[in-house]
Amino acid sequence: MNLRFIAHDFKANLKQWGRSKGTVFWTILFPILLILIFGSIYSDTGDVRYSLCIQDLDDSTHSQSFLGILQNVSLLEIKELDSDVNITEYIQEHDISTALRIPLGFGSKIDQSFINQDTTAEIIYYFDPSQQTTTSIVQTILSSILQEYNLAVTGGRTVVVLSDSATVSEDFEFIDFFIPGMIGFTIMTSCIYGSIERNTKYRKDGILRKMLTMPVSRTEWIFAKMLFMLFLSFLSTAVILSFGFFVWGLSIHLNIFIFIIIIATSFLFSGIGMIIGRFVKEEETADMAGGAITFPMMFLAGTFFPLEQMPGYLQSIAQILPLYYVNESLRNAMIFNNLDKTLFFTGAVILFACVFFIIGAVVTKWKED
Amino acid sequence: MVYKEVQCPSCKEIIPVSGVPGEIKKISCPRCNKVGKVTFANTVPLQDDAIMVSGLRKEYGDLVAVNDISFTVRRGEVFAFLGPNGAGKTTTVEMIESIRKPTSGTIKLLGNDIRSSFDKVKERIGILPQEFHSFERLTVIETLQYFSILFQKKADIEDILDAMDLQHVRNKLYKELSGGLKQRVGVAISLVNDPDIVFLDEPTTGLDPKARREVWEVIKTLKAKGKTVFLTTHYMEEAEFLADHIAIIHKGKIIAEGTLEDLIQTFGHGSILHLRRCNNKQIGNILKEEGFNIMNQQNGNISISIDYTDKILDILSILRHEAIEYQSIDIHRPNLEEIFLHLTGAKLQGDNT
Ligand SMILES: Nc1ncnc2c1ncn2[C@@H]1O[C@H](COP(=O)(O)OP(=O)(O)OP(=O)(O)O)[C@@H](O)[C@H]1O
Ligand SMILES: [Mg+2]
Repeated sequence: MNLRFIAHDFKANLKQWGRSKGTVFWTILFPILLILIFGSIYSDTGDVRYSLCIQDLDDSTHSQSFLGILQNVSLLEIKELDSDVNITEYIQEHDISTALRIPLGFGSKIDQSFINQDTTAEIIYYFDPSQQTTTSIVQTILSSILQEYNLAVTGGRTVVVLSDSATVSEDFEFIDFFIPGMIGFTIMTSCIYGSIERNTKYRKDGILRKMLTMPVSRTEWIFAKMLFMLFLSFLSTAVILSFGFFVWGLSIHLNIFIFIIIIATSFLFSGIGMIIGRFVKEEETADMAGGAITFPMMFLAGTFFPLEQMPGYLQSIAQILPLYYVNESLRNAMIFNNLDKTLFFTGAVILFACVFFIIGAVVTKWKED
Repeated sequence: MVYKEVQCPSCKEIIPVSGVPGEIKKISCPRCNKVGKVTFANTVPLQDDAIMVSGLRKEYGDLVAVNDISFTVRRGEVFAFLGPNGAGKTTTVEMIESIRKPTSGTIKLLGNDIRSSFDKVKERIGILPQEFHSFERLTVIETLQYFSILFQKKADIEDILDAMDLQHVRNKLYKELSGGLKQRVGVAISLVNDPDIVFLDEPTTGLDPKARREVWEVIKTLKAKGKTVFLTTHYMEEAEFLADHIAIIHKGKIIAEGTLEDLIQTFGHGSILHLRRCNNKQIGNILKEEGFNIMNQQNGNISISIDYTDKILDILSILRHEAIEYQSIDIHRPNLEEIFLHLTGAKLQGDNT
């Protein structure tokens, strides 16, 4: 193995990649753009007003005056819940990130506090921890309102306090669902197109023919290129994850599986690209063939929309698509932290990767007829 | 088997003998019967030929793209493989470069059969494939370094840049270069391992005349450096200008081979008389009736093949007799284009006047 060549090839690829606006766009900016667009469509954080559900179980003059104050805060959009609603279930079902419960006895506790100064009246704040930005903003607003309210009611003594209650929801946010899909999709496109380019453009341009007449083996060449593809895959993943983290407050479980899945995925789709490049000779046609494979796969494999929302026959189609296994393995490893499912789907991805990469490497011909 | 001629020391008779290298052979003079020994040198030939092709054939299904051709290219020669589109040039050169597999035939590069020992000669050849495009987003210097890293034997990149006159664009991206410069970079890439043989497949196709001239200069430099150059082209001036040795290939067969001088001697009889802008369009018919061989005529421009110098005077007197006026008259030796026309009845390539 000519390591010097491999290192040199990596450097050359990096330079070329950095100089090509197109590839930088597709591997970094495009995913960010998609995250932003989809994220804003499906998340309420884009609003200037934060919606807050309130369940008033006390229904006293005190609770009603407190409610009145909240309703006058222009940043908040208040939605009142009936007293018979189970607040945690409601939150999960309706994808709500913040809610407030004024418990029974709120008003009487305030009254009592004038006699016994140790008495406090609690209100309970429910929030979805995966929606960090929204929930902390709402919390800040609530705290400052409470300060003023305490001042007005008791002249400075703290009587009403906020107690936290995170609703750990099994229903994940759209962004949790979306980010792993985005990673799978980005790796898929950059590997398939990268591989197609190497096998059609380089063939047409005579670069492969030149390589054949030089002291470099096919294995070294493929190895060098795969190294670079892996680098790109990890780069895209890192960018998408940081963006998810900083903008949408995504929290993921980092583990060895993510690593393995990304490597296997890169080999898997590079293999598919090699197969396309072998059978479709012209560059443009090959790009179209690449699109014809990636585009439907993106929709059918549950990249951007949960499969459960799709008709049954489409769900069974997904079962045969490699990207489906990539998406599911990433979701289970990163978000759901479900070991059994992670093992199963990761295994499937590795299997697909072996099959496609080996077929790809075998059918790829350097020699001309 | 090596052949040799020895002179008999007593009667001075020249005696042909043959033997295997390393053999010491006893012979007797057929004239004076004197007995002596002849030693055959152990190191075989003086030098291997650069390229030896014999009985090379390539079939694509029913199409015979290369039809049992044989030729030898000597070291240090610029060999032009001249032929029209689809003649089989690329197929041949890529079989020699071990990129395509011959249907049958033998190819030796620097004495090595490429079927068994192509890896051995990789370090010693440099190729420029037809319509080669290098990596678009590497600079010229980066490109040369990239290809250079693969070889054990390395030429000095600065020297290559100087020789190919590329110093002024060394830091330009490949994609920003003009077609002529790209081709020169292509030639430069083929030199990074200081090869003995350089293969250039149509290095000037698609270039304007100025850029073509520049590539020619570069090829001259290669020859001056003692490299063997295998050049394919469909431009006859290119072969005339550059080549020491020309093979004309047509429909997969070599129809003529030799030096330019050889080809003109063998295939181009006599000379060609060219009249420009005659005022009488009937001139062709008049001369034809007189028994002249009209090669080409078009709107008063006419080419006549002439085997004896006397015929020139005949034509002049006909022109005077018929009171035909013309703008110019010239007589020249046939060029490759006309030889090709003569051999095949077809034109080599339209765009090279
Ligand atoms: N891979 C292939 N499969 C089938 N036929 C081919 C193949 N490559 C070349 N041919 C045919 O073989 C013949 C010779 O082609 P070749 O490319 O060697 O010609 P050429 O002399 O290099 O022409 P050009 O000047 O156009 O480059 C042509 O008729 C061509 O169509
Ligand atoms: Mg050709």
